[in-house]
Amino acid sequence: MTGDGAPRTLFGKVWDAHTVDTRDDGAALLYIDRHLVHEVTSPQAFEGLRQSGRRVRRPGLTTATMDHNVPTGDRSLPMADDTSAAQMRALERNCAEFGIELHGMGSASQGIVHVIGPELGLTLPGSTIVCGDSHTATHGAFGALAMGIGTSEVEHVLATQALWLERPEEMLVRMDGSLGSSRAITPKDAILSVIREIGPAGARGAAIEYAGSAISEMSMEGRMTVCNMSIEAGARAGMVAPDEKTFAHVRGRPRTPRNIDALVESWRETLFTDAGAERDREHAIDVSRIAPQVSWGTDPGMTCDITEAIPTPAEFSRGDESRRAAAERALEYIGLEAGTPMEDVRPDRVFVGSCTNARLGDLREAAAAVRGRRVADGVRAMVVPGSQEVKRLAEAEGLDRDFVGAGFEWRESGCSMCLGMNEDVLGPGERCASTSNRNFEGRQGARGRTHLMSPVMAAAAAIAGHLVDVRGWELAEAV
Amino acid sequence: MRGVATKYERDNIDTDVIIPGTYLKVHDHAELARHAMEGIDPDFHSRMEGRSILVAGRNFGCGSSREHAPIALAGCGVRAVLAPSFARIFYRNCVDGAYLLPVEVGQEAYESISDGDELEVDMAARRVRNLTRGEEHEIAPVPEIISGIIEAGGLFRYRVPE
Repeated sequence: MTGDGAPRTLFGKVWDAHTVDTRDDGAALLYIDRHLVHEVTSPQAFEGLRQSGRRVRRPGLTTATMDHNVPTGDRSLPMADDTSAAQMRALERNCAEFGIELHGMGSASQGIVHVIGPELGLTLPGSTIVCGDSHTATHGAFGALAMGIGTSEVEHVLATQALWLERPEEMLVRMDGSLGSSRAITPKDAILSVIREIGPAGARGAAIEYAGSAISEMSMEGRMTVCNMSIEAGARAGMVAPDEKTFAHVRGRPRTPRNIDALVESWRETLFTDAGAERDREHAIDVSRIAPQVSWGTDPGMTCDITEAIPTPAEFSRGDESRRAAAERALEYIGLEAGTPMEDVRPDRVFVGSCTNARLGDLREAAAAVRGRRVADGVRAMVVPGSQEVKRLAEAEGLDRDFVGAGFEWRESGCSMCLGMNEDVLGPGERCASTSNRNFEGRQGARGRTHLMSPVMAAAAAIAGHLVDVRGWELAEAV
Repeated sequence: MRGVATKYERDNIDTDVIIPGTYLKVHDHAELARHAMEGIDPDFHSRMEGRSILVAGRNFGCGSSREHAPIALAGCGVRAVLAPSFARIFYRNCVDGAYLLPVEVGQEAYESISDGDELEVDMAARRVRNLTRGEEHEIAPVPEIISGIIEAGGLFRYRVPE
């Protein structure tokens, strides 16, 4: 605990404020302000509670939704997948039995857990948030300390509302410069650039704070995209110090605290990194220089500019034999040869969705590339809004008509093809331009091939029939 | 503990490879085990017969928080994974549920172990002994809280020392 007035980081302040107990090695029993629960990583946790005769310590601080395996097609039909249906029924039963609020499949507030948290006003600056999902760092965009946990820890938080955690190292990632106003270069490109430079273990175990002019300029949705992908660099958490944009986003939500004015006042006074506070690591990029990013391999670090050709394993290796071998395996899996221009890569499928890029702003970006155009022959393209609320707002703006008019499928909200747990999967060998977060082998379906990119780049690929540099495109004005 | 090693010379083995998303609906541990590592080795389950140690490259277990990953490996008889580094959520899942022991060793130790070597893991002495090669390697220091959870046999058995 730091009580001597030494300069502290944003992370350090939130960590200290939630510390119930500490160990000599810096580990802390951390109090958890908000626990988000979904159908896939919670059943065994509830079963554990039942077997040990425990109750949920603070049901009011626990919020559940169904997202990972919900169907995104016609929801008036019975579910085709019995095991998914059973998992969803189990969550309904568990929430009823333990008194937990559930945003289930028929609910107007259903959606991806990391989309509905901020949408409902449950994600608050300076709070601690956990969820049995690795993309929980998304909520760090609000200056929360948000971490993904496993199912044993889910059970522990349900039972105690606290968790023993090792104190992570801290890393500053500075995004200097500006993404500009063209809408062709996005926060997704900024975070992919960082991961490309530092690799999938470049921030392993660390709590990242993102700062710099590009972060200040970014919308809350953009900051969520950046924080969301912290785990793809191995980070435990990703945070942005809250500012007036953050406070405006938190106000007026269904679950905004009644004392919000006082809260904002205290957040303004405390939630930033003090001058002189130290971190263990630092990385900086100038985002003014980056091009649209596309992944060519099987981890998010295997990414290049859209204008580049796929590197040879020797080029990618940086002299590291293990990296060279990984690149060789990746090229074989992805079915492309080194030296292939990225613009020659032709997707069979296009997926606009996921907790990384399925918010209203993401759909607006994608729609700007499709309005008045047609999806190329042979490409199946789908948009899966992040939540029912996103879907409703997008439809109110007519974005659904832009997509459907261009030949996209306009679907119901959920995780969908990001991780292939429901019917939305790639077939073996199918290639997808995807706005999701992971291009791992088999992630979107057995033997499926994923290329990560921004929403506007994925939408443009659907229209062009190949990956394409959207900087040359005329993008439709916002409605 | 003592056992024979199966080795995959590969960094960044992610949890989607360890157990693909489609099986996250499966609650039966034996069924999960049948699909462990399916992505890189469809014969993993049978390859682990009579073996209990998995050796792999840096950042093992990166990606998703699915606790199904250590459960699936443990179901194949894996009692320890040796790697130069682990993704943090996977690492915690291994010890929280007491499924298997994640053992951090140096890059050189990782490179010196071959598939089929017989190893002895001694956490108390922080040593891995390669009985086949007659070599000995150091295990990286384990944070106090982690060794406490390991010794207790899982997160729910951990008690703060008096």
